[in-house]
Amino acid sequence: MTTEALRAPRIATRPLRRISEKSGLDTAAGHVLMVLLSIFCLFPVYWMLASSLRPANAMFETSLVPTSMSLDNYTQAIDAIPIARMLINTLVFSVLSTVFQLLTGIIAAFAFARWKFRFDKLVYTAIALTWLVPFQVVMIPNYLLIAQMGLLDSVAALILPNLAAALAILLLAQAMRGFPREVIEAARMDGARNWRILWEVLVPNLRGTIASLAILIFISSWNEYFWPLLLSRTAENSVIQIGIQMFMTAEGNQWGPLMAASTLASLPVLLIYIVLQRQVVQSFMKSGIR
Amino acid sequence: MADLKISNVKKAYDGKPVLHGVDLSIPDSHFAVIVGPSGCGKSTLLRMIAGLEDITSGEIAIGGVVMNDIEPSDRGCAMVFQNYALYPHMSVRQNIAYPLRLAGVPVAERNVRVEQAAKILNLTDYLDRRPAQLSGGQRQRVAMGRAIVREPDVFLFDEPLSNLDALLRVQMRIEIKKLHKRLNATSIFVTHDQVEAMTLADTLIVMNGGRVEQIGSPTEIYREPASAFVAGFMGAPAMNLLPATVGADGQILLDAPGNPQGLARCALPEGSPVTLGIRPENVVLAETSGAGLPATVDLVEELGGSRVAYCNVAGHEMSVVLPASDDPLEGKPVWLTLPNQDLHLFDRISGRRLEADMTTGDKLAKREVETVA
Ligand SMILES: Nc1ncnc2c1ncn2[C@@H]1O[C@H](COP(=O)(O)OP(=O)(O)OP(=O)(O)O)[C@@H](O)[C@H]1O
Ligand SMILES: [Mg+2]
Repeated sequence: MTTEALRAPRIATRPLRRISEKSGLDTAAGHVLMVLLSIFCLFPVYWMLASSLRPANAMFETSLVPTSMSLDNYTQAIDAIPIARMLINTLVFSVLSTVFQLLTGIIAAFAFARWKFRFDKLVYTAIALTWLVPFQVVMIPNYLLIAQMGLLDSVAALILPNLAAALAILLLAQAMRGFPREVIEAARMDGARNWRILWEVLVPNLRGTIASLAILIFISSWNEYFWPLLLSRTAENSVIQIGIQMFMTAEGNQWGPLMAASTLASLPVLLIYIVLQRQVVQSFMKSGIR
Repeated sequence: MADLKISNVKKAYDGKPVLHGVDLSIPDSHFAVIVGPSGCGKSTLLRMIAGLEDITSGEIAIGGVVMNDIEPSDRGCAMVFQNYALYPHMSVRQNIAYPLRLAGVPVAERNVRVEQAAKILNLTDYLDRRPAQLSGGQRQRVAMGRAIVREPDVFLFDEPLSNLDALLRVQMRIEIKKLHKRLNATSIFVTHDQVEAMTLADTLIVMNGGRVEQIGSPTEIYREPASAFVAGFMGAPAMNLLPATVGADGQILLDAPGNPQGLARCALPEGSPVTLGIRPENVVLAETSGAGLPATVDLVEELGGSRVAYCNVAGHEMSVVLPASDDPLEGKPVWLTLPNQDLHLFDRISGRRLEADMTTGDKLAKREVETVA
């Protein structure tokens, strides 16, 4: 027994080292590929920023760095549309959508992951199917409902259909099912009932999943265009994506203000992503426990 | 008083029976150990006691109170899980304090009790670490700490040591035994490990296929296994179990092609199929021809202090424990003597021990066993 135990690690290290030598080359190649991909992804973003700083007469310049810079586009954009108001609307819409989708998702996922009830599989499948139904199918009924409620042209109407979403429920249910059953049972024996098990045991340990889900929901809400387009009547009650679109007119596109507005629209997302990303990495590292 | 009484408890998962009616009674402050092969329902039984699993039928009572419909946390049981089941996001201190926090114990008292538990378990230096920053043995101790702060009436352990390495396992085993001496709470301990079972148990419960095979003290179970299963399961190396048939005038004949070997006599009717059992340490091996069964040594395993010879006796394998020696035995012819007082006899059909089952006369089979010269 003891001799075996002593021998085992020596045998195990040899192939391991070989793997790491080989992967040295692989990682170098991987890095090159990733750098190329990053440039590919980041270039349009850079071009947007660069163009937003070019004066109107230099808009179609192809130099990588603008030869002359001005903030004219920004002042024009701010004058043309109520950009601050729109950004606030978008923020309210995105934050509330995220918060509510997470809340409803967490609670529904707990029910699916922890309880057996009549037709539970059926309900779960039905929820999964709603995810596959294209927006175009539900937009007319949703629109009519909102109209009947007298909520057209309001931020509340934007949020209403986004209070719950299949993606959040499915993802969280999956994560909760993967959580060690024994830890939940230990909590039960310690005297925690469902509500506490959910908020004091499950949720703190699913921070990674919740944070990445929050980013996903937030960004997709921020980028929501079609639904606001359908509901909005006035710029004051609309979101920034609609605002950007206002620079694309029948008489031609106002590229400068459009790029400026786009840049302003991307800043909050970037900021939130940076903040939450730290949280994601952190919680992924912490959850390497078990 | 927290004696445990389990009456005709059955469990079925989706109609598939897993426990077929278990009866058990464990006196207050006893240390009971449940052993059995994988899948025999040990964990299921323990989880039913804890309240984590519904009871299909039957009754479980702790301290005279029927627990069937009582919440796990209100049963006065604490459980230690195999994978520790610590809360990963809480420090050791928070882990141990969690049951107290849930019970609404005031902070000051909570701290005192956590410190106390930590002291007993040598965890004082680790109180502010996360479970991820602890070794397996330390995590196991935290799990025990979380169990003992509650001052439960009954401790339930589901293979708590099986994730630890051999050395630590022995240490923790001793610690658990000491802890039991100190706290004196009724304990039920599930394990695969024979040594753990033998050393920890006041009462040993051997399970097989959803049934209790035998209940008794470790020595009782070792000396008088109630069935061929228990005989083969308890003890390492395992007891030799050889198929035999009772011949004329009660002679036990080892089943072997061609020449049945006469072994001993018993008071059983001719033709009864039996299983003859003898522990490897009781077989006497001689290298010179003479009395006993002729055999050849196939293989010898060195264990340091002793060695085990695997012999072929008329087509059956028999292991023999021998004192350490440099004498090369492999491939050699040997003669094995099976002392009468060490023989166990089982019914080959039912597997039950033949002793009480004997109806031929007032003497019991085992006492009747005589050497066939
Ligand atoms: N949730 C479940 N659903 C269906 N069958 C189950 C469930 N849990 C356990 N079983 C079955 O019940 C039987 C007993 O399982 P149990 O976990 O009690 O075995 P065990 O004796 O603890 O085994 P081990 O020593 O491997 O832990 C097994 O056959 C198992 O497949
Ligand atoms: Mg088990």
